[in-house]
This record gives sequence, C-alpha cells and structure tokens, in this order.
Amino acid sequence: MAHEEAADERLLVEAARTDPGRFAELYEAHFERIYAYVARRVRDRHAAEDITSEVFQQALANISRYEWRGVPFSAWLYRIAANAIADRWKAQERERGTPGPEPSVEPDFASVEQQARLFRMVGLLPQEQRRVIELRFVEQKSIREIARELGKSEGAVKQLQFRGIEGLRARMVESNA
Amino acid sequence: MPEHDLIEQLDDAVEAMLRAPDAARVPDDRELAALWRVAADLVDVPRPSFRTRLKSDIERRASMATATVTTAPPKWKPKGFRSLTPYLIVRDADAMITFMKDAFGALEKGRAKAPDGRVMHAEVQIGDSMLELGEGGEGYPPRPAALHLYVDDADSAYARAVAAGATTLFPPGDRPYGDREADVKDPFGNNWYIGTHKEGGPIPPGMNTLTLTLHAKGTDKLIGFVKDAFGAEEVEVTRSPDGTVVHAQLRLDDTLLELGEARAGVVDEMPAGIHYYVPDVDAAYAKALAAGATSVAPPELKPYGERMAHVNDAWGNQWFLATLVKDPRTSA
Repeated sequence: MAHEEAADERLLVEAARTDPGRFAELYEAHFERIYAYVARRVRDRHAAEDITSEVFQQALANISRYEWRGVPFSAWLYRIAANAIADRWKAQERERGTPGPEPSVEPDFASVEQQARLFRMVGLLPQEQRRVIELRFVEQKSIREIARELGKSEGAVKQLQFRGIEGLRARMVESNA
Repeated sequence: MPEHDLIEQLDDAVEAMLRAPDAARVPDDRELAALWRVAADLVDVPRPSFRTRLKSDIERRASMATATVTTAPPKWKPKGFRSLTPYLIVRDADAMITFMKDAFGALEKGRAKAPDGRVMHAEVQIGDSMLELGEGGEGYPPRPAALHLYVDDADSAYARAVAAGATTLFPPGDRPYGDREADVKDPFGNNWYIGTHKEGGPIPPGMNTLTLTLHAKGTDKLIGFVKDAFGAEEVEVTRSPDGTVVHAQLRLDDTLLELGEARAGVVDEMPAGIHYYVPDVDAAYAKALAAGATSVAPPELKPYGERMAHVNDAWGNQWFLATLVKDPRTSA
C-alpha cells in the first residue's frame, strides 16, 4: 500500500474507533475484498453473504479494541473472515455428525485483491452492459431470458455481454500497468 | 478470430461455466482465454442489493452502538435478541429461510437439524430483529404468523417476495399512517405487511424492522390480558366507530407488539408463538397464570441454557417465557 493511502486508512480507522458512525466508510473501502475472499472459499452465494455480514458486524462490534500495528486494516478483516469460515464449517460438522466439504484452502491474496477490483469495476460499466453482466452472472439467467427481460434480440444481449467483459478486461490491464 | 465468432464462443464458455463451475476449462485460444478469466472471476460477483442492504444494516448498528455505548446488555436474554421474538412453525423451514433471504435479505444465524433432517430450530435476523422458526412436531402443528416488516423500499421488497412465491393481499400503496405498504401471504401461510415509512427514514421512530402482529377476535380483551399477564404498556389503540380495535400497539419491555381485530373476509384470526425473555421466568409464569393463562409446561431448565415455561392464552397464542441462564451461542 502506498504511504499516503496507509496514513489515510489509519485516520479512518482511528475515527471509527471513537465514532462507530464512521465505520460505514471502512465498509465501503473493504466490502469487495472480503466478499471475494469469502466467496472463493465457500463457493455458495448464500453462505458467502451470511459470512460477509458476520465479518462486518463483528468488525464493527470490536473496532474499539482494534490496535493499529502498521499492518493494513484488511489483514484484520481477513482474519475475522477466516475464523468465521472455520467456525461455520465446524458448526456444520457438529450438526451433521460427519465432516462436510471442507472450505477450500487460503487463496492467494493478490488474486483476491484483483477480483475485488474487478467487482468494483462492474459498477463503472455503461448501464446496459452492467445490467447484462448482473443478470447473467448474479442472477444466472440465460441469454434468452435476458433478451426477453430487456426487450432485445439474443444477438444484442450476447454482444453486450462481450463488450462488458472486454471492457472489464481492458480496465484490469490498465489498472495492473 | 473474427469478432462475431469470439462473441459466440465466449458465450458458449460462459454458459458452460455457469452450468458447471468446477468443470470449466480455460480455452486454448489466447484472446478468448483472457476474456474467459475475467468471466470466471465474475461468477462470484456480489449482488448489488446485498451490498446495499448490508451497508444499511451496518449503519443502523453503528448508530445503535453510538447511542448505547455505555449501557451493558442485560444478562437474562441472549445478545442480539429483544424481549419478544416471533416463533413460527412451518412445514418446510429450509424453504422458508430461503424465501426470507431472497425476499427480505434475512441472515441465517443458526439452523439445528434432527437426525431425520427435520429443522428443529432456526434463527434468522432481518434488519435489527430476530425471528425463530422450526418444523414443529407432535402437539406443535404449523402456526404461521402476521409480521409487520419495515424495509428501505417496500415496492422492491414486495416484488422480490412475489417473485419468491408470495401472493398479494394488498398491492403497494400509500397508507394513511404515512407508510408506503404492500401486504402479502408467503407460501408458508405467514402474512407480511411490508412497509417503508415515508418521512425521516424507512422505519418510524420507536419501531424496529420486524414487529409481530396478533389478529384475534376480541382484541380488546386480549389487550387487557397482555397488560395484566405481562405488564405491557399501551402505546396506541385505534378503534372503529363501533368500538372494534382496528390497530393497537403495546410495549413489552423493549419490544412492540401490534394487534388488530380479525374480520371475516379481510383477515383471519392469527394467533402466534412468542418467545418472551423476562428477567425472572418463575415470577412471570405465576403472574401469567394469575391473569388467566393456561399452563402447558412449568418453568424448567432446557438443554439450550434457558429456564423456560410455556403458557397459552384464551386467543390461541403460545407464550414461551424464558430467562437466559447460559448462552450456548457465546460459551463453548
């Protein structure tokens, strides 16, 4: 992290420690990376949403006890997330009496960060492309369903999907440069 | 590769990826592979509505934390619970939890299953409120409830509820009490009164995300009973010209309870199960019986760390009076 960014983050964390009202700004800054991390490990949308909620609720509840030690705030959030995933797995194991599918191993954090950046970029796409990407990947609708919903031809929807993905790729390449 | 082919092949690859994410393979073509990698990362993209809802939840909690930073929570009820929690019994609790997640952004806090797969007990959180449900068993047949829910946008929550299988009781409209509201019945028989307060935030001052509503015949007398048996305070009672209670609010400790007369063709009687945390369950049990409640089970320590008693009232409501002794959620 750049020096300036770290200093900004430290100020924000300090503000949130004394005024929980400021925590929403930390949420804005970290939502995508925590969600990406959790989703990679649990591979289930409902579970990913439940665990992500838990992470931010716990972080908010414990922020007054957080001590700044020079490591990024995200490291603290990642640790809460890893514990929440482990707890959930253990609880499921107890419930079933037999071990369930184990969450996948710790992913590579650079690729989590990259995916989080991609998630944020979806929000910056032109509206029609974004809508198609959301319907296709979030709601997992078929091209035909999307075409009907948007009143477009299937060819036009495929083209919007292509332009969206192509645009995201170009932005990712730029941001990595 | 010509662009037209690339568009088609990318869609084929996306289709395969969505159908079987684990079996998906990187295509050989370099250009296609680069797009494929972006698409593979998009499979996990979060729902924008989830991001927004969690943000409102975090903001609400943050404002509560600011307001209550010096008051320690009472020890006789579990953390995160208010005094009253609706307890629903439904035939398919798994399906109902999915419904509440899809329609109202509910968060699952726990689900305990019996060896036969039956959901014995589950807890979900919607906004700042908890709701409990189970699949019942002998002596505990399905018992749906009427629930008054505040959301950020009643119209879109209504649309999601209908998409998830609910049927319309009253379509969205502006109500005289300052709410935009839509009423539905979910596939499990529960009524949901989905509202958004129009001035000064989505939830009216003093209310919570979720409030249990009891529909009874003789609401007037039921109000008298709840006041005598549980020391409830009357917040508001609205009557029609013939004296029938159209709508009432009672406060029990930190939680509101709403009541409205059952009327043929409008709303059926809807008694409910109510999990009611009190500081001293033995005293509360004795007081409820003195006010005319019927005992189903006297106070007893339960394996889940609560001393609990069960009484019924004359309107069919089941009251599970409880005092927390040891919270299994926070102790190992």
